[in-house]
Amino acid sequence: MDGSIGILSQVAFWGLYSGCIYILLATGLNLIFGVMKIVNFAHGEFLMLGTYVTFFLFVISGFNPYVLLICSIPVLIVVGIIVERLCFRPILGTGKLNEIFISLGLIYIFQNMVAMIWTDEWRSIKSPFSDITISLGPLQLPLDYLIIITVTILILVAFYLFLQKTALGRAIRAASQNRKGAMLMGINVEKMDMLTFGIGAGLAGAAGTLWAVSGQVFNPYMGSIPAIKGFAIIILGGLGSIPGAIVGGLAIGMVENFTAYTLGGSWKDAVSFILLIVVLVIRPTGLFGEAEE
Amino acid sequence: MKRESIFCIFLAICLTFLVLSSGCTEQQPAAQKGEIKIGVVASMTGPASTTGKDIWQSAELAAEEINARGGVYVKDLGRSIPIHLVQGDDESTREGGQKAVSKLITQDNVDLLVGGYSSAVVSAHQAIVAEYKVPYIISGGSSTSVSHRTDIDTSYMFFHRPNTDDSGEASVMFINEVIRPSINSKFGFSADRKLRMAVIYQDSPFGKGQLDAVKNLIKTENLPIEVVAEEPFKMGESDFRTVLTSVKSKNPDIIYAVTFLNELVPMTQQARRDVGLNTLILSIENNDDPDYYKGVGSYGDAQVMESRFSPYAVPKGSTEEATRQFLSNFDKKYGGFAGMMGAATYESVYVAAEAIEKAGSLEKAKIRDALANLAMPQMMEIMKGGIISFSPDFHESKFDLYVVQLAIDPASGEPRPTIVWPENLKAKEFMLPDWYTPGST
Repeated sequence: MDGSIGILSQVAFWGLYSGCIYILLATGLNLIFGVMKIVNFAHGEFLMLGTYVTFFLFVISGFNPYVLLICSIPVLIVVGIIVERLCFRPILGTGKLNEIFISLGLIYIFQNMVAMIWTDEWRSIKSPFSDITISLGPLQLPLDYLIIITVTILILVAFYLFLQKTALGRAIRAASQNRKGAMLMGINVEKMDMLTFGIGAGLAGAAGTLWAVSGQVFNPYMGSIPAIKGFAIIILGGLGSIPGAIVGGLAIGMVENFTAYTLGGSWKDAVSFILLIVVLVIRPTGLFGEAEE
Repeated sequence: MKRESIFCIFLAICLTFLVLSSGCTEQQPAAQKGEIKIGVVASMTGPASTTGKDIWQSAELAAEEINARGGVYVKDLGRSIPIHLVQGDDESTREGGQKAVSKLITQDNVDLLVGGYSSAVVSAHQAIVAEYKVPYIISGGSSTSVSHRTDIDTSYMFFHRPNTDDSGEASVMFINEVIRPSINSKFGFSADRKLRMAVIYQDSPFGKGQLDAVKNLIKTENLPIEVVAEEPFKMGESDFRTVLTSVKSKNPDIIYAVTFLNELVPMTQQARRDVGLNTLILSIENNDDPDYYKGVGSYGDAQVMESRFSPYAVPKGSTEEATRQFLSNFDKKYGGFAGMMGAATYESVYVAAEAIEKAGSLEKAKIRDALANLAMPQMMEIMKGGIISFSPDFHESKFDLYVVQLAIDPASGEPRPTIVWPENLKAKEFMLPDWYTPGST
């Protein structure tokens, strides 16, 4: 292994990019868990839908795919709201088993629906900036990845400001911290559930758009693996903790890429999950999680 | 007591009836229903679904053509009967393959199986085929760990594909005979300079089989090729940036990629576009598929691929007419062209029909014997000696393999292949592209 600073920095850059996709996915997942305490295994399917919405709009409009974020996020917010109203609202509080089976059912429904509409061929789109690379010393930084990292940061900042500075954001935080207390304070928690699920799906949709723009291939079955990683990240970072999702996403992105560099690509998932186990053994609530009372 | 005795007698009669009827079902040949049931094992869902669809559609086309000619003559019945295909979706997983093959054999009562793609998936359901002794013409599963295994009875399995040793040999010989001298000549290196080769391979029996074959060949033939990197990746991977960064640091002259097409597309794109790895990527025959050319786009320009059937590069000679006919019929029926796995499965259905006709029966042992002694004229893929037959040791058919080089077709904007090796099949000379950068001297 050639461990020069240039190569290690390049690997870290790829880790940062992977981390961005994971962060957006895990942040949405954690937001939903924080407020509704439900486990949605179909969250990866929102990412997959995000890629297809981007692909579809890109093909019919020819717009810059980054601009399509302003379409894919709202579309996925609406999809999230519909899923929450039709699927999760009726079974809320009836037991984890129902949630698990509903979400497993949703995986098949979304996968088959997308395969029916767009077939199950592998797809990809080409960003208009795909041939532009910025050289920074020994580093080769493709412009697309710099934009993806920047867009992720902007989305996270906007999300932070929304949660901290708006009444709606404060209401979501209140519902997340103490559901009964929030209800007693006059907050419509069912509305917060709906909104939370929508935002979570919207963040996954943004991850899907960025996935597609980066030139990664996608097909209707591509959501499962990122979803598993998303769950690993929120457990690593701490269930319900947004900073945990960010740190966890970055950690998994970095560990995966440095493992691929040192031990080979076939080890990257194994080492990520070893990290998860080690963290849970040392700190069972995850990096930023709080012990339940 | 009397009531108990009556109950026992009734139970015994029921059990006897059940046993006899189940025995009758097992021994009842499908021909009594007036058709030959062929199970097609294909990855209709999961990461290899693009190839799976190709396999199924090509099998469908072959069955349709055979049925249009009146079906397959079975001497024991004294008449021709049609082929009925039954789909077995292996879901691109080992477990999915086991479920699909079990169902095809025990519930659908197929007379014969064709298809199979991933070596890992095929190896997982081989034991079921061995147990039920159903003839199986496998068009994938190229690893020798699948066809040369001795832990199970493989006497009913026939491999209509080159194994990893065969395709590895063709690829390495091309690299040594054509690419290495081209690089040495263009960049003024000494003629005995060792070519630096990086192998990026799927961490599966297929990938490991190729890696072993390549390394063994280099060693036994003492070829001037140095393997400077061996990078495994998980099946279905789409992010190769770090692996390629690692490979780039080893300064290779060429990358030998052992992948499925959904892996080769992002690998090729990320190598050129993201990592700036301006080197050649040589891939394996299973990627010779219209979906690869469509997916890889301009990044596929000048890349090379070992092949045995190419939808866009039809070798001149005795197989040309059959190939063009197949491509035309496929295009009419499904729109677009089939890839190599489709062609191999299409031929496999014809091989099955020929074996049944030669056996004159639907008894599985007789079909197995007919397959073992088969000598059928080649169809689209160029066979050794112009004959499709299976070797006595491991039941493998032998192909004349070739290598194609891609070039952008201005009309479609996609790369298209042309045969550049071997000498007797090539349509043009191999060319090192202008953007190519060799590894360190």
